[in-house]
Amino acid sequence: MELLLFIVRRFLRLVLTILIISTIIFFVIRVIPGDPALVVAGIDASDDDIQAIRVRLGTDVPVGVQYVRWLSDIVRFDFGESMISGASVNKLILERFPLTLTLAVLGIMLGIIVAIPLGVLSAVHRWSFWDYFGMVYSQMGMAIPSFWLGLILLLVFAVKIPLFPLFGSDSLKHLILPAIALGFARAAVILRLTRAAMVEELSREYIITARAKGLTDRMIRYKHALRNAMIAVVTITGIQFGYMLGGAIIVEQVFSLPGLGRLFLYAIYQRDFPLIQGGVVFIAIVFSLVNFAVDILYSVLNPKIRIS
Amino acid sequence: MRKAAKFGLFLVMIMLMTGMLFAAGSKEVKPLNFALAGNPDTLDPHKTSGTLTFQTVKSVYDTLAEPDENGVIVPALAESWDVSADSLTWTFHLRKGVKFHNGDAFTSADVKASFERVLAEETASPHRKEMGIIASMDTPDDLTIVFNLSGPHAPFLATLASGWSAILPKSLIDTGHDFDSLPVGTGPFKLEEWVRDSKVVFSKNDDYWMKGLPKLDKVILHIIPETSVVVQGLISGQIDVVYIVDSDDIPMLEASPDVTLKENLTSLIMVMPMNTSKPPLDDIRVRQAINYAIDKQKILDIAYGGGETIGTFMDRGNAYYKDFTDLYPYNPEKAKALLKEAGVGNDVELKLYLPQNYTLHVKAGEMYQEMLTKVGLNVKIQLIDWSTWISDVYRASKFDLTVIGHTGKLDPDGTLGGYGEGKYVQWFNDDAAGLIKKAAATIGYEERKVMYDQVLEIMAKEVPFVYLGSSYRTTAYRSNVTGFRITPNLDTFDFRWTEFK
Repeated sequence: MELLLFIVRRFLRLVLTILIISTIIFFVIRVIPGDPALVVAGIDASDDDIQAIRVRLGTDVPVGVQYVRWLSDIVRFDFGESMISGASVNKLILERFPLTLTLAVLGIMLGIIVAIPLGVLSAVHRWSFWDYFGMVYSQMGMAIPSFWLGLILLLVFAVKIPLFPLFGSDSLKHLILPAIALGFARAAVILRLTRAAMVEELSREYIITARAKGLTDRMIRYKHALRNAMIAVVTITGIQFGYMLGGAIIVEQVFSLPGLGRLFLYAIYQRDFPLIQGGVVFIAIVFSLVNFAVDILYSVLNPKIRIS
Repeated sequence: MRKAAKFGLFLVMIMLMTGMLFAAGSKEVKPLNFALAGNPDTLDPHKTSGTLTFQTVKSVYDTLAEPDENGVIVPALAESWDVSADSLTWTFHLRKGVKFHNGDAFTSADVKASFERVLAEETASPHRKEMGIIASMDTPDDLTIVFNLSGPHAPFLATLASGWSAILPKSLIDTGHDFDSLPVGTGPFKLEEWVRDSKVVFSKNDDYWMKGLPKLDKVILHIIPETSVVVQGLISGQIDVVYIVDSDDIPMLEASPDVTLKENLTSLIMVMPMNTSKPPLDDIRVRQAINYAIDKQKILDIAYGGGETIGTFMDRGNAYYKDFTDLYPYNPEKAKALLKEAGVGNDVELKLYLPQNYTLHVKAGEMYQEMLTKVGLNVKIQLIDWSTWISDVYRASKFDLTVIGHTGKLDPDGTLGGYGEGKYVQWFNDDAAGLIKKAAATIGYEERKVMYDQVLEIMAKEVPFVYLGSSYRTTAYRSNVTGFRITPNLDTFDFRWTEFK
């Protein structure tokens, strides 16, 4: 019951968030310079042609009317058609989503596999080899731009040692290098956070109590401290995951992947209003779902945290 | 910890294996792998102005006439045509036995339906006005179409030979087929698959009307935004043809024994337009000074990878080109003197708007700025995106200076139409405007050439632009590829004669 109430409240909040965000976006993209009809028309079209294109795109009517039309469409989950390509926005987004989802899951998995063990090791054995290694890694991970790492990975593992394809998106094999390029920097952030959270937990009073009680170091570290430290880690991982689902534009460019990031990037370049709006709403929903999942995870990790 | 590591290794192995499974089982004919820099907006040739669309659908659609390798307009879906003495009636005799990809036989009804589609208001074609010269169409029989024009119009044949005059099957037009993503034409290749932002796959049309063509069974256009990936793909053999390579990448490609480079002159008109209605640019002396201040060959060589100077508003290789390059040679001293005479110093700020996604124009813009600064002008660069460039600079003339390249046109009217009556440079000249209109209504190269020579002279002298030149384009191939053609002036990709040696 409590959970149900929580979900309903969450849902209402999501609807409100989307309404506010989409309204802001709706007007902002119409205020900035650029007109989708002119993008379609190119530079040779006449003024009459441009006006006809505006009619076809529905941008010939006042902005207020366009807004009302758009609102009445989205309550029916219809995001309209792309002004540039004529394809349905729903279709364009859903077509791209599986790839982006797979890439994000792989990326975050790689991040977790590297970062959490290394972070815990660094915290438990402070100033050891692993701690220095972790520090160097996280410095590098945060400093190395992902497009550079992506290009280097391609050069080494697709050109010099041709283990992976240079471009394309037909199989999971195409996603390994991009996932590494994406996960590398995420891992650095998660690693830092894991170490800091773990160090903090290990210095708490309940650790002393546990030790006095005669628990083994192993029990203390991995059962008690790690579990508590995970709360912060889950939060940051969730946020990172959300960003990746919004599309990892740079990685998609380098690896020629048809993901959401490139879809939305070109939509902005071309002032494809319906696609930009649909994209924003989609990302907002994804973020809310990820946050929701994170909240559920909290209560799993620490039953004392009641969802409320 | 060990457990986690093992688990990780396990996962990676699973992924690799799935990857290999996916990759296996696709061994068939060797396709031609072509690198495309961006995703076409749509594949409907009647609804867009996007170059990438026309470059892509050139393989799917045919037009009644088309430019050959030398830019001369030759028969395609029409075998021949006659023009009436008053140039108002154009009769096209269509090719027999041509089939659409869906099996429909090609007839005059398809031609009529296609042009009606372009002319329809709800299609909102960017080329509707251009087609507006068609007053009516008659189809006396299945293989004859007659266009009745509302006035004599020389550029009409060029219009029919352009990608936006593609012929679509009437049966599908009538049913509202989704031509945006599923094009059906009479062209040399059929669309097999289009994965947006990833690839366009074409397979051979066995019933193509040109005997023995196309030679390839399959063409894949890979959409790869990152140029270094394209270069590596070419060197390693994963890419067979790159339509245009950056001059920075040329040394690396030259070093590869398997890659052949071919340089040719584009039909681009590279310019720095000036807003001639805005002081101080309304003073012709200032515009002349700016022209003297620019070392045109240097900018062409460094920013655009080489080219030939033009001196007026026509591409160098055009049959209508006339040389005026001696009019404003590089002479910074003369530029300074003219600016002094006009009383313009660095207290006047000139804004130079550069389209940021065109890195070559940005590079050129920085060189323009440097050269203009040297003669004492105060030029500020502002980077803007393409949509803003079209709406603010091109349509609203909100600029002082900008840098752009105008694409070549099949007919000189496509290049010059509208100048003298404003356009984005806000340049008004009744003589030029009158001559341009007269030339469009005149049939015959010789007669038109006389008029265009005068127009080009006026434009060369009045300098609403800095005329830089036509640049070179370097196309790169794997050495075993032959017969790839780029349609002159339209810059579309023609794979009909392409094959592996």
